[in-house]
Parts: sequence; structure tokens; C-alpha cells
Amino acid sequence: MQDTRRHDMAQSLNILVIEDSPVDRKLLDSMLNESGKFSQINIVSSFQEALAHINKSVYDVILLDLDLPDSRGEQTLVELNQQYPLLPIVVNTGAYEDDLGLRTLGMGAQDFLIKGKYNAYTLNKALHYAIERKNMEMQLKLAYQQLKETQTQLIQSEKLKIVGGLASGVAHEVKNPLATILYGVTYLADNVKAADKNYDKVLSSIKEATKRANSIITDLLDFSSITKLEKKSVKIVEVLDKAFALAQHALDKKYVEVYQHIAENLPLIEIDQNRIEQVLVNLILNAAHAMEESGQLTIRINVEVIKETLPFYKSLNEEFFPKATKALVLMIEDTGCGLPEGKLNTIFDPFFTTRRSAGGVGLGLSVCKNIMDLHQADIILENKESKGTRAILVFKI
Amino acid sequence: MANKIKILLIDDEKGFTDMLSLNLESTGNFHVRVENKAENALYTASLFQPDLIVLDIIMPRRDGKKLAREFRSNEDLKNVPIIFLTATITKDQLDQEAGTIEGCPFVSKPSNFSELLKAIEINLKK
Repeated sequence: MQDTRRHDMAQSLNILVIEDSPVDRKLLDSMLNESGKFSQINIVSSFQEALAHINKSVYDVILLDLDLPDSRGEQTLVELNQQYPLLPIVVNTGAYEDDLGLRTLGMGAQDFLIKGKYNAYTLNKALHYAIERKNMEMQLKLAYQQLKETQTQLIQSEKLKIVGGLASGVAHEVKNPLATILYGVTYLADNVKAADKNYDKVLSSIKEATKRANSIITDLLDFSSITKLEKKSVKIVEVLDKAFALAQHALDKKYVEVYQHIAENLPLIEIDQNRIEQVLVNLILNAAHAMEESGQLTIRINVEVIKETLPFYKSLNEEFFPKATKALVLMIEDTGCGLPEGKLNTIFDPFFTTRRSAGGVGLGLSVCKNIMDLHQADIILENKESKGTRAILVFKI
Repeated sequence: MANKIKILLIDDEKGFTDMLSLNLESTGNFHVRVENKAENALYTASLFQPDLIVLDIIMPRRDGKKLAREFRSNEDLKNVPIIFLTATITKDQLDQEAGTIEGCPFVSKPSNFSELLKAIEINLKK
């Protein structure tokens, strides 16, 4: 979406007139000059010519004849409005049909004029009202969007509060009986010998199940407790080193080879380093779990300018990362089994896991997403073109 | 009995204190007294004169942290080491409290018995 409008009504305005009739062009030029409000009046006679002008200059309003040599009827309006949704358009046509005016308004025109039925005063009034209305419309849309975002955040925050309260209550009520079971089993294992050959196996299974139930409750408690950050300027490489130290055991166990491609002179970033370390450990462990023995883990860190040609551009949150801004991009690539294609939309949902049978609870990635959201940073997970998964973390600089 | 270390367990969960005292006594090193009613804990402790107190935090009628402050202000008990047991500590709280709760060490609930034993040994030496 390209903003080709200016917003200051006190300034003189620029108008583009799209009109192929030489007589009408002359008449309009004279009427528009009469108002003295337009510093620039450009008149073109075809749709293509109009597009070239809009791309070059900044216009406040467009006066559009619907029937042009290279684009006919209402389609002209539809196309123009689709390409430049922020530009106010006033339709100017000789063809009078009863409902044409209403139809063009429904297709995004700000007003509708019938040739020969207006004078300089009513034309200029219509154009100024169109600019003003469009401006109001955009402000209204923006306010609505902000309201929706605030509402979403409030709902999310309320949900977290409810989950937090619930988690704390559940933790207390469930962990106490779990502790009783664990110490009961410990006592039997250490002090009571039984003749049955399955005795030790049964006790061991009870102990493991108890620990697993405990880890689910603990994760839920941690997940619901992350609501604020303590940010400071840090070197991402130092945070990465700490994360590797914590995850090294899992990597060594599978003989994973680690490659690092890290750009020089990386800028400091404002993050809560403990939380980002938690995200990195989680992603590194996920990668380790997804790989068979002797897999490869590759870390890439670069500074990128946000632009459409970035492969992950479409997955970025536009609000956090507008075009032409710089961002620090950290990628973690593995050679593991990849993500299930049909489940890519739900991988950040709480309790989504591909490792339930191996003891996965499914809160790790939703914790990561929550932490990245709090940083107004992005986390993207995708399958690589070759085998494996790529996790992309994008931070503001 | 005379040479055994006296441990007072204060926790409202009877099943849990039963199992924990079984484990502690099975080591042969401890003489354990259980108090399941937090409001009686100060009285029981004054009579028992423990070498160490294992104290639950969330209990009905009396909060474990408040109880710890009462022990600290009691002339007879103020030097008795306390180990908290907690079921609801989060990573956030752990960071904020720098590994202790109200200046006392804690063991999360549930944890391995060996972990609790280790905490008891360390704090008895202090």
C-alpha cells in the first residue's frame, strides 16, 4: 500500500485529472484554477498515463472520468482504488444512470459528479470534501485497527491472568499429592524389598510418571508467569553462547555439529537476556531432538534491511518491522525431520507438540512466542527447502 | 534417640508429611516430629526444640513465610535453620529471590528425596 497523499489541508493541493475529452480537460483546468487552491493541476488522458503520474508525484485527490481509451467504465475506478486505496477519488462522468452514483460510492469513490451539472464552486467543494472525508475515513480505519489490537492484547492479557491464577492453584493442589507419591515410592524403593520381579520396574514407572506430571505443571506455571521484561542493551552473541552452554549436553548426546556464520560488528539490541536465552535454549533443544545422530545445526546472525525480497518478509509483523528499517536476524537451522506441513499454523499454540510420546508437553514454543511478542519481535518457523527446520528470530535494532 | 538430629516438619498435607518422615527416619539419622496445623507450629517447636525446621509455605490459617518470621523473633528458635518447601515457585520468582525465600533456602515440591537431604545437611552445618 503506497501513501501518495498529503494530509495538510492548509497547504495548497495537488490534483490529477484523468480525462480524455479535450473540451472537458480545458473546462476543468479553468474551473480548478479559479479556486486558487491547487498548486499543481496535472491532466492526463489515459489510465496508463495516470498510473505513471501517481507513481512519480504526490497527489491529494483524483478527478476521474470513467470512460478512458485504455480502461472503460467502473473497472477503471476499481483498479485505481485497489492500487491506491489511500487516494481520494471523485468520479466525473457524462453517462448518467440512476444508480451509477451509488455504485461508484460503493466501489470506493468519495463523490460522483455529472458533467455539465456542476460549476467551479460545486466542483471545488466536492473535491475538498472528498479529501476531508477520505482523511477522516483513514483516521477512523486506523482508530478501529488500534482498537482491535488493544482489544486483542486485553483479551490475551486477561487470558494469561486467568491461566496464571489457575496454574498457581493447580500447581499447589496437584504438586502436593505428587510429592506424597514420589516420597512414598522413594521409601519403598530404598527400604522395602519384594519378591516380585516387576517390583523395581513398577516403582520406577510410577516415579517417572510423577516427575512428568510435575514438569507439566511447572511449565504451565512458568508459561503463565511471563508478563513483563527487564530489558537492557546486550550483545546477542553473548546470549547465544550462554544458551549453547545450557543446551550443549543435548547436542553432544547426538553428536551434532554446530556451524556459526555471524556477521561482524553486530549492533547491541534491547532485550531481556534471560528470556531470550530461554527462547534460544528452547529452539536449540528442539533442533537437537528433531535430528538423528550426527546432524548439523547452523546459526546465522545478520543485520537486514526490511524489504519485500527477504524470503521471510511475508511472515513479518509489519507493525514491528516497517519497510526500510533495519533488523537483527538470527536463524537456527537444523537437518532434522522438519515440521508437519499441515500444522505450521498451530505450532505456537499451547500444548502443540510432536514429541508427546517422548515426554514433550507442548508449551516450549508458545513460551517462545509469548516472549518474542513481549519484545515486539518476530519468531518464524519454516521447513527448509532441503531437509530440516529453520527458526528465524527478528529483533528491532 | 539422643544423638539423632531433630527435624520438625510443618505442612498441612498429612500424606506428604507421613511419607517424608518415613524417608527421613529410614536414614537412621533423624528424629522427626510432624505438625500439620500451622497455628500450633510455634508451640510444637518450643516444646520439641528442633535442630532444623522444614516448612511449607502455603498452608491454611497461617502462611509459612509469616511463621518463619515468628520463629526468627522467638529467642529460643531464632537460630534454628529453616528450609522452605514450595509447590508454586516460578522461574521469575526464583530470579527475584536469588535462590532463597525470605533469606531461607528452599526446596521445590516435589523434588528428589536426595535433594532435600542435601539441603538439610548443608543447612545443619551453617
